[in-house]
Amino acid sequence: MSTVNVNRVVDASGGVLAPISSVMRNRIINGAMVIDQRNAGASVATSSGVSVYTVDRWVAIYSQTSKFTIQQNAGSVTPPNGFKNYLGVTSSSAYSIGSTDFFIIRQAIEGFNVADLGWGTASASSVSISFWIRSSLTGTFGAALMNSAANRSYPFTYTISAANTWEQKTVTVAGDTSGTWLSDNGVGLYIQFGLGIGSTYSGTSGTWTGTSNIFGATGATSVVGTNGATFYITGVQLEVGTQATSFEYRQYQQELQLCQRYYWKTDSSAGAWNYIGSGVVYSSTLGFAYTQYPVLMRSAPTISTYGTVNSTNVQLIAGGVATGVTAVAGAGATETNPMSTRIDFTTSGATGGQGCLPRLANGVGVTFSAEL
Amino acid sequence: MFKLKKDPIDNLDVLIKTNEEGRESFIPFDPANTDYQAFLKYQAEGGVVLPADDNEQAA
Repeated sequence: MSTVNVNRVVDASGGVLAPISSVMRNRIINGAMVIDQRNAGASVATSSGVSVYTVDRWVAIYSQTSKFTIQQNAGSVTPPNGFKNYLGVTSSSAYSIGSTDFFIIRQAIEGFNVADLGWGTASASSVSISFWIRSSLTGTFGAALMNSAANRSYPFTYTISAANTWEQKTVTVAGDTSGTWLSDNGVGLYIQFGLGIGSTYSGTSGTWTGTSNIFGATGATSVVGTNGATFYITGVQLEVGTQATSFEYRQYQQELQLCQRYYWKTDSSAGAWNYIGSGVVYSSTLGFAYTQYPVLMRSAPTISTYGTVNSTNVQLIAGGVATGVTAVAGAGATETNPMSTRIDFTTSGATGGQGCLPRLANGVGVTFSAEL
Repeated sequence: MFKLKKDPIDNLDVLIKTNEEGRESFIPFDPANTDYQAFLKYQAEGGVVLPADDNEQAA
């Protein structure tokens, strides 16, 4: 039997006709920045904390607050051909970064999804990273791959040649034969794009380093250093091999479900009321509801609410009446698992033993987070 | 801020984190959950965890 070994099939002009590797070759989730469950396209401030999630699976991390905003389709420019969305960063000031500053956007790839790379072994596979980038600035920009322990990093640079113009970049990285790279439901690897990184957290481009906490490449342009500067990115792909192929554009439902392994929220937009499960009245002041998630989550999730929880917006239907709910709570810390949980609803005047159906008004719901 | 309360059914602990806006999150005791990992780190560094109270439900 004959075997044909090729990396890709191209037409006469070099265009890729068909991917050779299997579907799901892109290890990045939401690389086209389509899914934005948390913010629904709204701008996200970096005014508190040290990190904030933007479009699904992408998090902004910063050492100083309020130096930039981040938003799906910020600035409303036309995305590259074949794309409808991008992730946009806008600098809020002309900040001079210090040696220990860092401003990055990052995706953590689950270990299960890069286990085949064999990183940390002699048979480590190469990967190719490709992405579309557009900035109001030109010059050398930086990014890096990093392991979960942040003690193995590969900084690399890319050049933006023309301002305010989409450019596609590709980088091939020889797999790391050293270090520890997780292959379970922990962080398999980080991919991170620098928006301004101080010397403490920058490393030499194009080589693996064992120095801890190297988030980007030395000499890279600081986006946060110019007030109003923009940095837009989409079409991010990380795949096995030395040849970048065309972006793997997944169907919406498929991409959404991939995202929901890490975060999902109950719907709050369709209809006057929304339901998250049914259950039983436990006592006069408490009702339980069983909630099963849309997909198996990476870990047991952290449960929170959004919107205003009060007796008008959340009600417990039981015994033929709807009574107001004053609080919504997660179950005991050992009772939430990666597939389902119990949600508790505080009410008054209920009758224990009755079946119940909690309902939540538009704009109110529950979030489930198992992010890396 | 982390605090504990009691689950109404079996009296086991419920771990709650309150953010700067006062909104509460309920964190499972799953070693793979990053919020639980953050809690363990906070605890190991001597952070104060408010003790379990009665069966009062969190808002």
